[in-house]
Amino acid sequence: MADEIREAKLNVIGNLDSYVKMTMESIESTGGKAYLAKTVADAQEILKKIVGTGKKIVMAKSNVAHEIDTINTLESSGNSVSETDLGAYLIQLSRDESSHIVFPSLHMTREEIGRMLHKELGLQISETSTTEEIVAAVRQLLRKKYMEADIGISGANAISADTGSVVLVENEGNIRIDTVLPPVHIIITGIDKIVPTLNDAMKEAMVQSAYAGLYPPTYLNVTSGPSSTADIELRRVSPATGPKEVHVILLDNGRMEASLDESMKEALLCIKCGRCYFSCPVYRVLGKDWGKQPYGGPTGAMWTAIVNRDYATAEYCTHSGGCREVCPMKINIPKVLEYIKWENIHTH
Amino acid sequence: MKEERNEEPHKSESLMFRQLESIRNVMMDSLMKNYVPFPIDRSVCSAWTDTLKKGGDTIIYTSFMYQLSSLFRAYEKHLSTFARMGGSSKLASLGKFFIKPDKDDLRRGYRILSNISNILQKNGIDHGYLYDDEPYSGGLLLELGMLDQFWEYGSRVLELMKQHGVERVITVDPHTTNAMIRLKEHFNSDLEVSNYLTLIQKYSGNGQYVFHDPCLYTRYNTIGNRIREIASTAGVEFVEDRMVTSRDIGTCCGGPLGPVNMDLSDRIAKYRAEKLLSLAQNVMVACPLCYQNLKPYVSNLKDMAEVIG
Ligand code: SF4
Repeated sequence: MADEIREAKLNVIGNLDSYVKMTMESIESTGGKAYLAKTVADAQEILKKIVGTGKKIVMAKSNVAHEIDTINTLESSGNSVSETDLGAYLIQLSRDESSHIVFPSLHMTREEIGRMLHKELGLQISETSTTEEIVAAVRQLLRKKYMEADIGISGANAISADTGSVVLVENEGNIRIDTVLPPVHIIITGIDKIVPTLNDAMKEAMVQSAYAGLYPPTYLNVTSGPSSTADIELRRVSPATGPKEVHVILLDNGRMEASLDESMKEALLCIKCGRCYFSCPVYRVLGKDWGKQPYGGPTGAMWTAIVNRDYATAEYCTHSGGCREVCPMKINIPKVLEYIKWENIHTH
Repeated sequence: MKEERNEEPHKSESLMFRQLESIRNVMMDSLMKNYVPFPIDRSVCSAWTDTLKKGGDTIIYTSFMYQLSSLFRAYEKHLSTFARMGGSSKLASLGKFFIKPDKDDLRRGYRILSNISNILQKNGIDHGYLYDDEPYSGGLLLELGMLDQFWEYGSRVLELMKQHGVERVITVDPHTTNAMIRLKEHFNSDLEVSNYLTLIQKYSGNGQYVFHDPCLYTRYNTIGNRIREIASTAGVEFVEDRMVTSRDIGTCCGGPLGPVNMDLSDRIAKYRAEKLLSLAQNVMVACPLCYQNLKPYVSNLKDMAEVIG
């Protein structure tokens, strides 16, 4: 299945421009609103316009949302934003940095988390609380936030060009609530997440879930525009019970340029499953201190070059090569990093 | 707090660039003039043999790796100091400082090369040696992503081999094997590149070891399985554990990071050594640079060519 996704994604990367157009048209035809942001600043402007001010926002962990600094952008324009993925929420509360693309709070111990939650939120838990007690306490808190939220923000595991559908895979249930309960749903994702069909998008989510750890996924979510119903005289009206607005911000930020570069385009195949991290000696020793947020580990050394134009991160690659062995997308990561090192040294 | 964090990597990045620039300039200068990575006494490198014939269509190709592995490490260690002091001109003038490799290391390198050459003879693989005409492969340039320089210098290496009538090189370490395979592919050269471990059939040995796979063998040129075959045929037992010695989860020793960040290179070596030692006290490597990098943390460390014969 991973091989099919690789082929499908290579096809999109080879014709990214037209796939972006097709995807945007499909989103609009479902009643959603599509935006293409060339840069981080463009994406922030679009986001600020959609959100306005004084809103309560819940957010499901999204690397692209972090790439555009969503929380600071929205909070500085008078909104309050809360992460709802447990790991991302812990990072937000402790004002720390994520240490893994799938498990952001991997570096924190249960004791540290208990202590921090007590200090930051006054919750009745401490360093001696069990994991179950911590999760239950946060659950209470988050459930309240969902009920009050005006807007839910999510990323996407994949987005299909043929139907404009966003597919998200998860275990916590926060994505499902974030994307259905608040009246407005904003999706922030990269143009690299586009795949040709809804079928491909579902497959990509399954591969992501299989390689990221917990399989089968507890929840698989598909969003194709705002909620609607045709239950009265077969006339379709929107909204129904779910959101009345769905906005999809597609971020370029270096991706289009990478798609045109024979050596770099491989990096765009990454489905952010996080497998490569554990095979990398540099990540094992440096953890979150290697790479620039939100992309760390071996894939981050490639992605930091794409989105931050930072080529120095790749210099730490020891060509250990385990990343390539485990990557479901068969990305020759050390070869891409060799190219980035070359870019670095010959342009410096 | 945040500002401090942002500033630190910035400083070390510019130092890293200066280091890399120094390596590139000094090494290219030395390679283009003398085919050696830094100023060295060539006779020290070739003195491990005086019985092999000079040249021939098949040669054993050492690329100085076993003779100078300690120097590579020392050279890299001092680079950051020199880069901080102001770059490549000073480094070049201090080149002589590095001339002598550690005596014990050198003797060990000689022993290993003689043993490899003997195993090859025992297996009926006749080979010569280029002695003082042998060039360095340029592997370090490749591994640092200095591709323009690697191709430029590499074309000279291939040319030199041709001039000497060499049709096949028998490599003895992963770095040279990888560099030569890349050169061969890039220039579409007829030169045959064979690693000695893929050629030998008769050998013996004993003992129990945890094997540290060189990344360039196991995850690139994919002869990791061949090494395991050799060990079991020879009667050497390898202690295996998926989390430590598998192809996908086992990791490199951090050696290639030496020129970029010596401290990080050391930390990875320490991390790797701890993993290996959790399985067995006797550790085996198959690369002179892995040996140098792991040596401070592993007391019973042997190269494969010290165990089989
Ligand atoms: S590079 Fe491969 S292994 Fe690493 S996160 Fe991306 S898809 Fe997963």
